[in-house]
Amino acid sequence: MRSMHVTDALSAYVDGALNEGERAHVERHLETCEDCRHHLSVLRDLVTTVRSVAPVAAPEGFRAQVRARVEQIGARPAATRWWPRLPMPWRVLSAAAAVLVIGIFAVNLLRPEGPVAMREFRGPGESPAVTGDRMRSAAPSAPEGAQRAIPGQNTLALRRVIRTAQVDVEVDKVEDAAERLLRIAEEAGGFIADSSYAETNGVPHASFVLRVPVPRFAGVVASLDGVGRVARRSIHGQDVTEEFVDLEARVRNLERHEQRLLTFMDRTTKVSELLAIEQELTRVRGEVESLTGRARYLSNQSDLATLSVAVRQKTKKTSGALWDFGATLQRMQAAFVATVRQLLAGVETIAVAASALIPVLAFAAVGWVLFRRWRMARI
Amino acid sequence: MNDAELVARSQQGDTDAYDQLVGTYQHRIFSLAYRITGNREDAWDAAQEAFLKAYRNLYGFHGRAAFSTWLHRIAVNAALDVVRRRAAQPPVPLDVTLRSLDDPADEVMRSDLQQRVHRAIAALPVEQRVAIVLRDLQGLRYEEIAGVLRIPIGTVRSRISRGREMLRVMLADLAPASGEGRTA
Ligand SMILES: [Zn+2]
Repeated sequence: MRSMHVTDALSAYVDGALNEGERAHVERHLETCEDCRHHLSVLRDLVTTVRSVAPVAAPEGFRAQVRARVEQIGARPAATRWWPRLPMPWRVLSAAAAVLVIGIFAVNLLRPEGPVAMREFRGPGESPAVTGDRMRSAAPSAPEGAQRAIPGQNTLALRRVIRTAQVDVEVDKVEDAAERLLRIAEEAGGFIADSSYAETNGVPHASFVLRVPVPRFAGVVASLDGVGRVARRSIHGQDVTEEFVDLEARVRNLERHEQRLLTFMDRTTKVSELLAIEQELTRVRGEVESLTGRARYLSNQSDLATLSVAVRQKTKKTSGALWDFGATLQRMQAAFVATVRQLLAGVETIAVAASALIPVLAFAAVGWVLFRRWRMARI
Repeated sequence: MNDAELVARSQQGDTDAYDQLVGTYQHRIFSLAYRITGNREDAWDAAQEAFLKAYRNLYGFHGRAAFSTWLHRIAVNAALDVVRRRAAQPPVPLDVTLRSLDDPADEVMRSDLQQRVHRAIAALPVEQRVAIVLRDLQGLRYEEIAGVLRIPIGTVRSRISRGREMLRVMLADLAPASGEGRTA
């Protein structure tokens, strides 16, 4: 019994390019096979013949022409060129892509509070009663109560946070402060929901409740610095997303229940049953209204932030001294803190911008590497 | 100065350094292009193109592979480009013995044997031709060929093996020792 011929391996055998095991196998076979031995010697002769072909010299002037053309390309090979030599349409496309990426990035950076800014703003002119009427009138035509949704249902995916702030401000004149607050509220697309004025011991003070759209909340709180000296500031946020979602689910269940009751009502003819169903329907409807009311309240509260501003007129410090050293020190401290705060805010902005750029840069780097590899693979 | 130093200088734009590299490799690269394209004119074009391409892409060469291997790869591709470009022309017939030199200025091919072998190599299917030229005329090892062509070693082996089988058939009359007499 003899193993198969090793014809295919002979060529590599001649070149010494077989591994240990393969070579041993070929040699064992060659000992027993005359055909393969013959083939091997033919192959050796052939390789000798082929290798006897003399190398060709590059013609006269070849090197000189390469040199001339290389010098024409320019003093430098592409060594320091960081931008690839692209054909025109690719250059235009890459530029467009770059502009797009930067644009998206800029929008992201400037948008005040992420997706919240996209949330529809319900102005002060649209009272809850109006909203409620529209809801009720839409109800009968809605199957499964799909449109009878809680206000703002389409934005349920977003967090609903009720934002409130209490700010105490010391001003020179309370009347001026009231005017400024009104302007701040209106410029932010909000309004003054409540205001009161009083005098205690001859010192006038007032309180205001500002309602402004949540996206403008931070800006409005900051702009209160322009009204007077902020003596106290507390900001509070309460996440009501869960309660909101829960309310929505309960309303849906109740409405399903209502639908079933209505179906029963159509089928039954007994007066006693009709009365019972009617009673249950009234109860369900009442509960739906109450839940919807609560949801509306939450929605309103989370759409419009609430700022309670207490304004107090500065007491004239008539200490009689030539120079109020303490006040100066206080002002210096305030100025120092303000500067540090601004610097930190600047650093934070840069850090945030840089971190936002990281994915973009990573993406670009991967693209660049792939491009380079592709380019190198082509040569 | 060795290759690496010359490459580094060329990357900085030193055309003298690159000229030295060209001097070192011009004959090997021209030879390679000549065997793959089959004639001196195409070989000139392909080899010129190879050296220019190498210069332009020098920034992408990081010395992971030997410069010589890298240059071989570029030259093989340049030669194949030329071959493909003239593919519209009729292929070289297998019956190499009936062909005369179409390039009378070809002084290298003086001897009949050399001419026969050259024609036979030129008649090989292009993949096998490249493998045979790299192995038997340029003297590259199998691993180097795999690197130059970016194909597995097994493929290198089979291309060389099949190329030699074809050459054996085409050049059967050249080696009397391998004729019928010995198997009888
Ligand atoms: Zn055998």
